[in-house]
Amino acid sequence: MKHESNDQTKWLCDKCQRELELAKVKVRYMEGNFEVDLMKCPTCNQVFIDEVLALGKMKEVEEGLEDK
Amino acid sequence: MNLDKLLETGDRCIHKEPPTCTAQCPVHLEIIDFLAEIEKGNFQNAYKLMEKKMPFHNIIGRICDHPCEAPCERSKAGGSIRISDLEKAVLEYGTYKPKKVWPLPKNKGKVAIIGGGLSGLTTAVDLDKKGYIVTIFEKTNQLGGRLWDFVGDSLTEAILQQELKAVVDKKMTIHFEETVDKSKLTELLTEYDAVYLGTANWAVPIEVNPVTFQVGNLALFVGGQLLNKTDSVILSASSGRRAAISIERFLSKVSLTDSRDREGIFETPLQFDISSKESLPPIEKSTGIYSQVEAIDEAKRCVKCQCRKCIEGCVHLRKFEMSPDAYIRQINHNERIILGTHYANKMINSCAECGLCKEECFLDISMNDVIHETRESMVARGKMPVSAHDFALKDMAFSNSSRFSLVRKQPSKEESKDLFYYPLISFSDYVKGLYKGTGKTEYLFYPGCQLPASYPDDIKSIYEYLVGHVKGDVGIYLGCCGAPADWAGQRGLMNENIEAIKKVWAEMDHPTFILACSSCIRIFEKYLPEIKVESLWDIYVREGLPNKDHIKIPQTLSIHDACGTRENSDLHESVRKIVAKLGYGIEELEYSKEKTKCCGYGGLVYYANREQCDAFVSERIDESEHDLLVYCAMCKDLFVSGGKRTYHLLDLIYPKDDGEAATRKMPTLSERHQNRSRVKRILLKEIWREEPMEIVLEDNFTLIIPEDVQRKIEDRYILIEDIQAVLKNAEENNERFCNPETEEYLARLRRDNVTFWVKYEKEAGSFLIKSVYSHRMEILEEDGNSGGTK
Repeated sequence: MKHESNDQTKWLCDKCQRELELAKVKVRYMEGNFEVDLMKCPTCNQVFIDEVLALGKMKEVEEGLEDK
Repeated sequence: MNLDKLLETGDRCIHKEPPTCTAQCPVHLEIIDFLAEIEKGNFQNAYKLMEKKMPFHNIIGRICDHPCEAPCERSKAGGSIRISDLEKAVLEYGTYKPKKVWPLPKNKGKVAIIGGGLSGLTTAVDLDKKGYIVTIFEKTNQLGGRLWDFVGDSLTEAILQQELKAVVDKKMTIHFEETVDKSKLTELLTEYDAVYLGTANWAVPIEVNPVTFQVGNLALFVGGQLLNKTDSVILSASSGRRAAISIERFLSKVSLTDSRDREGIFETPLQFDISSKESLPPIEKSTGIYSQVEAIDEAKRCVKCQCRKCIEGCVHLRKFEMSPDAYIRQINHNERIILGTHYANKMINSCAECGLCKEECFLDISMNDVIHETRESMVARGKMPVSAHDFALKDMAFSNSSRFSLVRKQPSKEESKDLFYYPLISFSDYVKGLYKGTGKTEYLFYPGCQLPASYPDDIKSIYEYLVGHVKGDVGIYLGCCGAPADWAGQRGLMNENIEAIKKVWAEMDHPTFILACSSCIRIFEKYLPEIKVESLWDIYVREGLPNKDHIKIPQTLSIHDACGTRENSDLHESVRKIVAKLGYGIEELEYSKEKTKCCGYGGLVYYANREQCDAFVSERIDESEHDLLVYCAMCKDLFVSGGKRTYHLLDLIYPKDDGEAATRKMPTLSERHQNRSRVKRILLKEIWREEPMEIVLEDNFTLIIPEDVQRKIEDRYILIEDIQAVLKNAEENNERFCNPETEEYLARLRRDNVTFWVKYEKEAGSFLIKSVYSHRMEILEEDGNSGGTK
């Protein structure tokens, strides 16, 4: 579920004023645990999920897991 | 879930059952397919179907006594399809040279055939094809028997000779001019492995098994006229074929009787309602045989009997192309699967559970009950997709929380005595009702959750009307009956809810509930039969309408009955009486009263499959040119959002001056919450004159929400309070992303099992919302934080 949108490079973590970096992030839904590459703040670890990802791939995986 | 019982229900469905014509055809020609091929002009394909099922199709197709025609359903609407004439036309226009078939090696046993007539030849050819060594004994000097009597315009001598020559060419041994009597038969029975007796006459009566055509335990089988006692040629051929099956089973030493209940003529369980079809007379032949065009036109008259009553009425079954039997097989698979994807989940959650299928079914098969039980099983096994019903269940929890829920007895006489002194008020029915108060709650007004959400301003008026009109004290009970839990298959939650309602009922000393919502009526009938209920609409009819002079422009309305009231004919009548009394004309919809359709909200389809919900809406609103009249808040909401002018009964009873009621946009999901809370506040303040406790909401920020974003908020089931909570967390803790180029912020907050994201811009003290979205997947940030919680 690696995701890099064209848009996200412009975004900064507001708290730390740091640029976001692609990193391995743990995600969990129902019985599923995955590690995926997502953009996040290297200092506070806040993970960035944009609309395309949330309503696209993420929703698809959620639905897939719900139907397992 | 009892899957065997489920499959039994599926087996009862008559959708897949053959039509009467095929069942009455002794060789089961697939007549619907046959006619469909003719209809398309594919005479050769139609010919192939005859060839497949009909022994000596080139002969029988010309002389068949067609028992298929008399019971044809078309006979009730113009006249039976002329199947026999169409067979003749197909033999004329569809014949092709048969493919050369290589004979099997003859090593399967020796069979003697007595009689070279139609039945004997059928048995002989069938067994020869299967590899038996067949010998025919014919008393005359030619094959064909009584087939020669049929030679005429249709079956010419040339055709008959050609067909009989084809038999001779198969190189079976044929003994002509050899009469078989009793002693010869005994001889043959020792010499051959099996004997078929297909002669028309036999000196002594023979007892034959009616299923296997076997004589006792002997290797002797009987068919043709001797068995059938009629001169039907198609029965003769059929009996020869069935005897061949018996002989093969006999010689293969397998059961002669298994799975033979549908051989020959049988009664099909199929039922078909032709009443809606236009009557069409048969196409007449312009010459002795149908022309191709005539044949095509005649075939077009076939109504293709298949029971589709439930499917025709239900946009859900049509959307998934499912008949109940096929649906049940899918559910069975979905329930049994252990590893893998439950592909039927979405379908199961797209049924409105409205019950029209059962109403339409000849056999009362209720897919509503099947699907409901399935959803309960999915929940019990932890296999129900959470996202399907989560929002609706949270909405139900809201309605049963302190933000809406309320139980109060009628204000006592003592508490109300100041009202009795104001001359104007004291003349009102309401105050008179209060004055008659006894302290014993005879009625409890239970408006449900969606009606107060849609009509917050009318609840107080209705309550006052009830106090002023019904005999005895009227209390109020605000809450949700549990319909969302019922639809979601949440039996545990449903039971809890029912117990809570029962508790209030007992505490109030068993009052009659006055219900205004059709879903509540359904739930009370199903789960709370011990509670006496009355519908608000019945009370209006009995006690008179509250206002006078409502009508502005008399018009004709089509009444859409709520599916929850399907079995409540008194209620349907009350609604019609009210509409008529208000001065409106009524034009009934095709599907109304006990056969009404669902608006698309039922079964929580609105949340589980919006596309399916839209299909319900558009099908229903296209049914009438007139404005619709509904008495369920959700029906109104969906029909208006589908673009149909729709009145709720309350729009007519309590008309407002704030614009056109039939097109009034219904409240958003967030407004539905706010309206319920408002109803509680209004009632507490104005009826019970209590100071309502202020509920602190996270709505401190001034939001600017453009229309397109508002639509997204609704479509994505996000509440304003979710947005407010995200903003609060973002502003207080700086937990957000910023975009220096666009000056936008993007913030997230996990609330319960959903993470909400809000993209916004700050504008002079207010927040311009650019987008909102959510996901259920949890992001585990490295410090163990998953994005905060409420």
